[in-house]
Amino acid sequence: MLKRIYVDNYKCLVNFELTFGSICLFLGPNGAGKSSVFEVLQNLRSFIGGEGRLEQIFKHTSLTRWQTLHIQTFELEVEGNKGIYKYLLKVDYDIEGHKARVKSELLSYNKKPLLRFEQGEVHLYRDNHSVGPVYPFDWHLSAVSSIFARPDNKLLTWFKEQVSQIIVVQPNPALMTEISETEFDMPSYHLENFVSWYRHLSQDQGFAIELNKTLREVLPGFDAFKFEKSGDQYRFKAHFRNENKNESVGYGFGDLSDGQRMLIVLYALTLAVKMQHYTLCLDEPENFLALPEIQPWIVQLFELCEQDEAQALLISHHPELIDYLLASPVGLWFERSGNLPTRVRPVVAPGESGVPVSELIARGWLNE
Amino acid sequence: MSRYSKVVVLCEGRQDEVFARTFLVKCGFMVARIRFVVAPKGIGSGEKFVREQYPKEVIAYRSNRNRIQNSLVVMTDADVIPVSGRMKYLEDKLQDERQNPRRPDEAIGIFIPKRNIETWILFFMGQQVDEDTDYGHFNKQSVCKPYVEKYAKSRKQALPDNAPESLKLACSELARIV
Repeated sequence: MLKRIYVDNYKCLVNFELTFGSICLFLGPNGAGKSSVFEVLQNLRSFIGGEGRLEQIFKHTSLTRWQTLHIQTFELEVEGNKGIYKYLLKVDYDIEGHKARVKSELLSYNKKPLLRFEQGEVHLYRDNHSVGPVYPFDWHLSAVSSIFARPDNKLLTWFKEQVSQIIVVQPNPALMTEISETEFDMPSYHLENFVSWYRHLSQDQGFAIELNKTLREVLPGFDAFKFEKSGDQYRFKAHFRNENKNESVGYGFGDLSDGQRMLIVLYALTLAVKMQHYTLCLDEPENFLALPEIQPWIVQLFELCEQDEAQALLISHHPELIDYLLASPVGLWFERSGNLPTRVRPVVAPGESGVPVSELIARGWLNE
Repeated sequence: MSRYSKVVVLCEGRQDEVFARTFLVKCGFMVARIRFVVAPKGIGSGEKFVREQYPKEVIAYRSNRNRIQNSLVVMTDADVIPVSGRMKYLEDKLQDERQNPRRPDEAIGIFIPKRNIETWILFFMGQQVDEDTDYGHFNKQSVCKPYVEKYAKSRKQALPDNAPESLKLACSELARIV
């Protein structure tokens, strides 16, 4: 589970630190830095996962505008394997050449080193913390990403695998296609590839059965999903049962309303998080949902997180979601005045306010 | 069947919510048909929140019961006062809002654990409990789930003699809901 992040010199995040529980709700005005935290997590996931070179993932334009420092610092703390992993990445930018290189990349487990990449040289350490190979490495890649599993580096590769389980999404049903040409093992940012991702997930029959069961409760008339093969492509259809007949009618995924698609996506995400142990970073999940649909979904996600079966970081401005979640101390208030860095504090709801917390936020009274 | 909420649960905190949800789901209610109104975590009293909200929820129940088959579950701790005292607070609050007292045919169940919900949960876990001790909170609210499910399954059986009195009183309230 992701426990802590530290960021310095990235957009509005300067000397910025945040610790996470199993579920967190990011609150605050627009431009306060909530999405920047998600962006950093997405970038670190991509970099450590070897999805691109440093300059493709970290742009020099992300340097904090009012600082002259050319170095960005990122730290992650991840709990797992009965210990704490600490990852540090320092990115050094050459502003004029629009280039970036790894100044240092360090990974430790319970304060003992697993990997050190500095001055273009990687120092590896085995699981028993004995000194391993030393070799030169490309300054523009993650040394962690290049490590493949061996019997003596299980601690390191566990971390790499765990970071790959961070998913950052802002589902947008209008962009989701109903045709799948190939399977995807991860969802894209707007879930454009939801159908292809579902194809991958539904290889696990348990997933498909449980999702169908849940959707039958929340989506009136829903029966099951089916794929129709057409050449090399698969068309995704949701079948709905006729009220008085023992038969169902199939609708292409694209024929469903935005709200129906969003509901399907959210329950699929929730179930996937449970089964794959993802850390789910979800930006404005309640968009497109009808009011009565929000609480039943968030109840399910909250329950999974409370039982440590999942981790969820949410950004939301919706009163329904805010008022439900803030019955627990999971709120983090982001704020930023003018051109100053983001600051965060826990949300404490005053009990005698007479109005729901969401209303206090709407009135700007929460932190007055 | 209406797809919208059929049971509203008004409660003091997350532990009450998990208890009620687990119990109701085991009794056959769908989680998507349960609406939770939980006191926000803060510096205020959960008991006061429930007391203030109670008449509003009763009005909502009464004004919609002819259209929708719904019910209201209220959970509030007795704390250091008798269950009857806490019940009277709620009745008085109804009266303050010029509402008639609860009638026997109304699906409004009021559950008042004494000293608090943890007392009932520990009893379900097999511990000897009394209703004066404050046993504190559990680290994880979900710890109660298997025990509440077990109790829900056997809810039609009589409680043992050593069950907390507040739990025995709650059984008559249960008949209003399930």
